[in-house]
Amino acid sequence: MSKTFYKLSVIFLIISFGCSKDEVEGPLLNEIFGNFQLNSSFIISNNSPDFSNSNELVKFHCDFNKSIEWKISILGLESGSLKEISGFSNLIDSNQINWNGNTSQVPFFKKELCAVELSFLNEVDTLRDTINILETKVYDGIVVADFENGIPQEAIVFHQFSMNMTFDISNDDPLEGNNYFKMGGRMGWNEWFLGSLDIPLDLASVNTPATDFYINLGVLSGINGETASDQFINILVSESTYPFNDDLSNNASDVFQDTMEVYKYQIRPVDWYGWKMISLSYDQFEVKSSGGNNLREPKNITAIKIQCQSCPGANANCPENMGIDVRTDVDFLILTQGSDLLSQ
Amino acid sequence: MKKYRSLLLLVLYIVLPNLYFSQKSDKIWIDGLGRSFFSSDAQINEEDTISASNISSGYNLIDLNTHINPFETIEIFGQVRIKNEFGSFFGSGTQIDIRQLRASGIIKNKVKFSVGDLFLKQNKFTLYNYDEELNFFENNYNSSYKEIVDYENFYFENRWRLQGIQTNFSYKFDRFIRTLEFDLFTTRPRGSSQINSGLNTSISDMLISGGSMVSKLNKSFTAELNYVLLKELPATGTVERAIRNPVYQMGINYNNKSENSIINHKLQAGFSERNWSYKSVDDSTSELNKGMFAEFSSSYFKIDSTFSLNLGYRYVDPNFRSSGAQTRRIEMNETNVGSIYSLYSNDYLVRPISVFDIVTDPNIYNQNISGTLMSFDPIFSNALPYGDATPNRQGIFLDGKYNSKNKILNINFKTSYFNEVIGQGTTQKRNFFTILQSSDINLKEIFNHTKEFDLSFSTMNQITSREGDSIERVNLNSQHFNLLIEKEILSKLFLQLSLKRFESKGNEYINKRNEYGEIFTFQSLNIIRVDNLYCYGIKYKYRENVYINLQYNLWNSNFNNSNYPDLNFQRFLFIFSIKL
Repeated sequence: MSKTFYKLSVIFLIISFGCSKDEVEGPLLNEIFGNFQLNSSFIISNNSPDFSNSNELVKFHCDFNKSIEWKISILGLESGSLKEISGFSNLIDSNQINWNGNTSQVPFFKKELCAVELSFLNEVDTLRDTINILETKVYDGIVVADFENGIPQEAIVFHQFSMNMTFDISNDDPLEGNNYFKMGGRMGWNEWFLGSLDIPLDLASVNTPATDFYINLGVLSGINGETASDQFINILVSESTYPFNDDLSNNASDVFQDTMEVYKYQIRPVDWYGWKMISLSYDQFEVKSSGGNNLREPKNITAIKIQCQSCPGANANCPENMGIDVRTDVDFLILTQGSDLLSQ
Repeated sequence: MKKYRSLLLLVLYIVLPNLYFSQKSDKIWIDGLGRSFFSSDAQINEEDTISASNISSGYNLIDLNTHINPFETIEIFGQVRIKNEFGSFFGSGTQIDIRQLRASGIIKNKVKFSVGDLFLKQNKFTLYNYDEELNFFENNYNSSYKEIVDYENFYFENRWRLQGIQTNFSYKFDRFIRTLEFDLFTTRPRGSSQINSGLNTSISDMLISGGSMVSKLNKSFTAELNYVLLKELPATGTVERAIRNPVYQMGINYNNKSENSIINHKLQAGFSERNWSYKSVDDSTSELNKGMFAEFSSSYFKIDSTFSLNLGYRYVDPNFRSSGAQTRRIEMNETNVGSIYSLYSNDYLVRPISVFDIVTDPNIYNQNISGTLMSFDPIFSNALPYGDATPNRQGIFLDGKYNSKNKILNINFKTSYFNEVIGQGTTQKRNFFTILQSSDINLKEIFNHTKEFDLSFSTMNQITSREGDSIERVNLNSQHFNLLIEKEILSKLFLQLSLKRFESKGNEYINKRNEYGEIFTFQSLNIIRVDNLYCYGIKYKYRENVYINLQYNLWNSNFNNSNYPDLNFQRFLFIFSIKL
């Protein structure tokens, strides 16, 4: 038996000494710490895209010697719209990295020339090119209000009668198209609520759950580089079955009353300058008044209310608002399913 | 709360005399530990004008171990801790905890069992609590600190403290084989607990179960089988994935005893599997790792214990994963920081773990089994950061011991040469050469003193190297030196002087692992670091386990890095320890 033991031991030693493999654990060091080098030029598949065709894509390709954080920036030279695509890899694969004309940051792209730039983190190399957009992208969704033909039919506009109230259509700085809806002014007394826009909806044909149902709204803020302190927007969504525009009392609370099924999301503060696209999935809305089943069912939505509110200058907390108008203008209220607007 | 304290004192007042009387009948007996600990730390860094210049803290504690033997074959054991932090008034700030509970017994004089807190150990590749870095040969260089670190973390004979049930039994045979011994256990090292109260999410229960079978085949041969399984129970939590990690080991041992010596050969091998399963997808697993290990070693012992030598070869696959054997005592990451001055300098830098923390701070140590490889600092332990079970290693090792017959000299040494089985981040492989020795010299015998007089010193040198281009190349050299002089100046009163110096110089890459324990990137390390710890003190030993120790410690870490100012601290320490 002891001889067998020794034989086994010798066999084990012979086998073990041969156990060396040419495999690698983890990423290659040269990819992480090696000098960066481009292996190919930056290739753009289509420099004159027509994004109105939903199948039209601009594809990008480039490969380099190591995995690195890279970023493709597309800047609309007229609109100022910006699309950024980024990743960490040693290859920009044209089968995966493409652009369908959407934007990362509103305003939207126009029919315009765009500057394209490929840059790399902590590297000086930057590759540049241009794209000329022949037709812009058409976003898929239920457009609730783009204000191109004025205020939507049956909508209710309510506002206080104080200073510089601007609850009306305007065309000086639209987000999309030619018009937008201005919501602002200045309160002369201690009242937070300035005004609101209520729009009736019929979404019976929608079958998407609340987690995949998005309310997208462009919001414009800032006057001469300043914003009023603590100005904000409340978005109220009603699933009430009461008839719309039946009760204009109590600041036009109508189908958004405390006894009805109403959900709320507060965009607070609105403290940026220029346009910003706000996208909210419906499941993020809180129960404002539990007059229903609290389930947030998109198909049951009957109305939406956009409320402009701000800390009034007459309030001891924000006397500085006596000298500045509130501005929470809105445009392009669109409901999307499956993803938010800018992810399309 | 006051009401409960009064009630407890009343209960103790009534029960303690009874316990004394019960002790006579051997049905209830008490032992335990008492400790007073006080430390005053001061930072002497000129660049740091923000941190407090002096911090002091301490506590008194009593651990009462109650052993109740209702029958000869049954014991119920409970350890109650009463701890009072310094600075709190009588009663307030006092903690009372149940620290350990266990019931054990023997059924029909054949089957032993234990329920409750268990201290478990199997094979070095299946379930084993390896020593922390910089600790070798169970030295006495900072024994007062070491005792506290081990006691507070339940480190006992390289066992893991786990809660569950264990049983063992054995058979004797008169033909074919001589004995057959079994040891089986199942434990729950981690219970389900909440991760996020807002989202109502919780992690799952983790179980470790296993068994050992040892058989003496004949006079010379012994065979062993070990199995351990770590498993999360997904139904007990809301986390989507659950780990499963079985490890198998088998070995055969050959003993040849002659008149003066014993020669032992051991051949063992095993394999492991680890994967994650997902609740939402039936029969789905991911990140599957399968790996094996094998080891052959030969030992020579002189029966009079004056000399021993052990030589062996070990192969551990890169994918060998054994949670019970690869869990480390210290997680070396940014979140594990020392108890004192965890932030330092005017920039509020996180103070990295130093030699002083490893030696003195029980709070940086870990008591939980980890399903994935924990992080380590290559400057302290690069060759075998997960002990013998370190994956991706193959090589030879040699260790030995010499004790002079006149008891003047005691020498231990270990050396090893390992290399990686596969490269990390490159096809080039690291080589690790380690040599360490420890010597104890009994100066009392040499100088014919009547009182104790001992000198001990140890050295460790670990060299890591890797060939390749300028990025792949690695060269890290860590050296560690210890010195202890202990002189009995009056009866039972010892003067102590110890020095610990650690130096690491060179470059390395630190592995960064993801939630599945896979390397996702490397952090480059270029270091010239020196840590020193000087301890001067006196120790009065009433008995071996009852002593008062007064120490002055001076310690520093020099990083030679303009981004990390050097550290300079001092400590005054008082320990009064009584172990019954």
